[in-house]
Amino acid sequence: MKSVLLRGAVVALFLGAVAYPALAQDAADTIKIGVVAAESGAFVSAGHTLPAGVGLAVKEINDEGGIKVGDKTYKLELLKRDDRTDISTAIAATQELVRDEKVAAIFGSETHDFTLAMAKITQPAKVLHFAGNSTLAKVLTDSSVASGGEDHYLFQTEPQEFQRSGSTARGVLKLLEPLVGHPLKKSVLIVGNDATGQFLSSYYLAALKSEGQEVPDIIFYPPDTTDFSPFLTRAKSLKPDVVHFWYNGDSTLTALPQALELGVAPSYFLFGVDPGIWKEQGLSADVPVAMSCVPVCWGESSNPKAKAYFDAYFAAGAPKGVTSSVSLLYYDYVHFLAEAWEKAGSLDPDKTVEALKTLHHKGVVSDDLAFNATHQVTHATEVCAAAPGGDITCAMQEPPADAPKQ
Amino acid sequence: MPASHSFRSLLPVLILLVLLALVPLLSPSNRFVSLAISAGINVIALYGLSVLFGQTGILSMGHAALVGIGAYTAAILARDFNIGFWLSIPLAGIMAAIVAALIGIPSLRVSGHHFVIMTFAFGQLLAIILTNGGDYTGAASGLDVQQPVALFGLSIDVLTHYYLTVVFFVALSAIASWAIINSRYGRTLRAIRENEKLAASLGINVGRHKIGAFIVSGVFAGVSGVLLAYFLRHISPSQFSSFPSIYLALMVMIGGARLLLGPLAGGILVAFLPELLNLDPVQSRILYGVCLIAVILLLPNGLIAGIIAGWHKMFDRRAAQPSEPAVEREGK
Repeated sequence: MKSVLLRGAVVALFLGAVAYPALAQDAADTIKIGVVAAESGAFVSAGHTLPAGVGLAVKEINDEGGIKVGDKTYKLELLKRDDRTDISTAIAATQELVRDEKVAAIFGSETHDFTLAMAKITQPAKVLHFAGNSTLAKVLTDSSVASGGEDHYLFQTEPQEFQRSGSTARGVLKLLEPLVGHPLKKSVLIVGNDATGQFLSSYYLAALKSEGQEVPDIIFYPPDTTDFSPFLTRAKSLKPDVVHFWYNGDSTLTALPQALELGVAPSYFLFGVDPGIWKEQGLSADVPVAMSCVPVCWGESSNPKAKAYFDAYFAAGAPKGVTSSVSLLYYDYVHFLAEAWEKAGSLDPDKTVEALKTLHHKGVVSDDLAFNATHQVTHATEVCAAAPGGDITCAMQEPPADAPKQ
Repeated sequence: MPASHSFRSLLPVLILLVLLALVPLLSPSNRFVSLAISAGINVIALYGLSVLFGQTGILSMGHAALVGIGAYTAAILARDFNIGFWLSIPLAGIMAAIVAALIGIPSLRVSGHHFVIMTFAFGQLLAIILTNGGDYTGAASGLDVQQPVALFGLSIDVLTHYYLTVVFFVALSAIASWAIINSRYGRTLRAIRENEKLAASLGINVGRHKIGAFIVSGVFAGVSGVLLAYFLRHISPSQFSSFPSIYLALMVMIGGARLLLGPLAGGILVAFLPELLNLDPVQSRILYGVCLIAVILLLPNGLIAGIIAGWHKMFDRRAAQPSEPAVEREGK
């Protein structure tokens, strides 16, 4: 019995000795990347798209053999953390990913406030941080992204707001006008009164005005509003040609039927509602309704790569949602980052930042994704319009070159 | 009541806090430390709320707004006057106390449910003011806090150092709360809680003392706000709206507002239960709701008081008599 135990111990030690370098090798040849997003709680609708999009990109990269950085080939390991739409949890998750897990990059969150607080952890630790919050423009400046600046490793994966608002306003008016049958002159905005709503609406207002629209009022509604009639009645009294619902897709879908019943306007625009949801929910309207996607639609698209991407995205188990397209604000940038590591020939964060700033990446959203000097991307936004008969037309709308003069 | 007797109610809290201060020696994960810091910051506000609710019998549903006053005071002082962490602590405490007084004077003319509604409205109002405050409050996007935190030249921005700082302030809050409970002022507050009319008939100025309790709770909230602002380094109005206030009230009710261990237990439980049981926010809220109903029905003085009573029933000869903690006996 004793000899059996002894032999067993020797074999175990031998196997351990053989296996340890292999395991150590595996760990050394893996790059950890993290996602912090609301997979539960109030922001789950947009939040679950982040791990789904990043996860799909990681799988594709690993299935293709990994990333060749210098002489070594690395596989990616994705660490997903649910922030439960709670800032304390988001911070705890970021601390864990940065300090305990030593991730090389973090994607998220979808919430502006959380991202800014997370960046206070990722940036001093030199962790590359990608977030699809156009509101990051407030902190991404020439000095903050410079080498040694406080946001040197932070990247905004959504176009600057004047660009997205400009693309959207132009696309909405262009698609709606022929369907309405007369020139559209007056617009009213109905906006969720929170951080994102306030920030976004100021740009969209400027964009509409630069398109020649008269905008007599922006009507703010409290988040979580379900009865929109007071706001819609106010909007109707202004006799608009278009009512623009901005920006929460879920709230917009609650407001639209009420607006149609009240006959508020001859046309509507729903920001962030995908034509796929329009079709899946069997929605209809007796007036034209424009929709926009952030950045490319899944239900109907003029983008040639969108179908293949969304087929793979949904096949991987992601649910079809109002904001499924938000996943593209992250998916492309995992591939982009992988390309940057390969180009830099190093995982060094400073060299990777330099590579990210000089690369032009072919992604789903655009064949020419690139970061500008303040770490922000530029690309087109897709706008669609449903005619009263149900036909949906989509078009990618390029952004304006410059911000409209206030 | 001898001082040694009343000190017994503080001793378990201090022992527990010493043990919590030793936690970093066990090399916990940074996630754990981060959540513990958040819980500790809440506990400081809860000690203020326990003075208000536990001793005076007034429930505030806008307490997170006072935490917000402290946080925004710290952020604005740092930005506009280059005033750092340590000086912000008393200044934000004073500012939150002033705001509490301004709210307390009209609000405490009403009582019971009406006061709860008014404090809730204050929380909502503050969020609106901060959201529409333009560049001064950072509007809906909020403010960054850039100042480093140092003590005698040593940076305490490191997570474990900040954790120890928070534990220190929790200890200070517990001691302050204990001192209030065991003072003449605390006894006056309890007299008001038990029977307002009787207290008034004894010559106690009920209104003034109630406002005073609200102001005192504001100081705790203000200090908690500074610690939060310097921990997150970015604050925004949504962090101080109605939901966080409801959570604070929930924590103090579950843990128990009348015992010194109550706020500590409530803060830790609500912070760590979702983590330990891997609950999503919906499941957490269901659990908190069930806990709250159970506490109200079965343990009206909170979890800790219930555990102590259960302990006495099982192991103590005094089980035959209804047992009350020192501070409660003293208060009646």
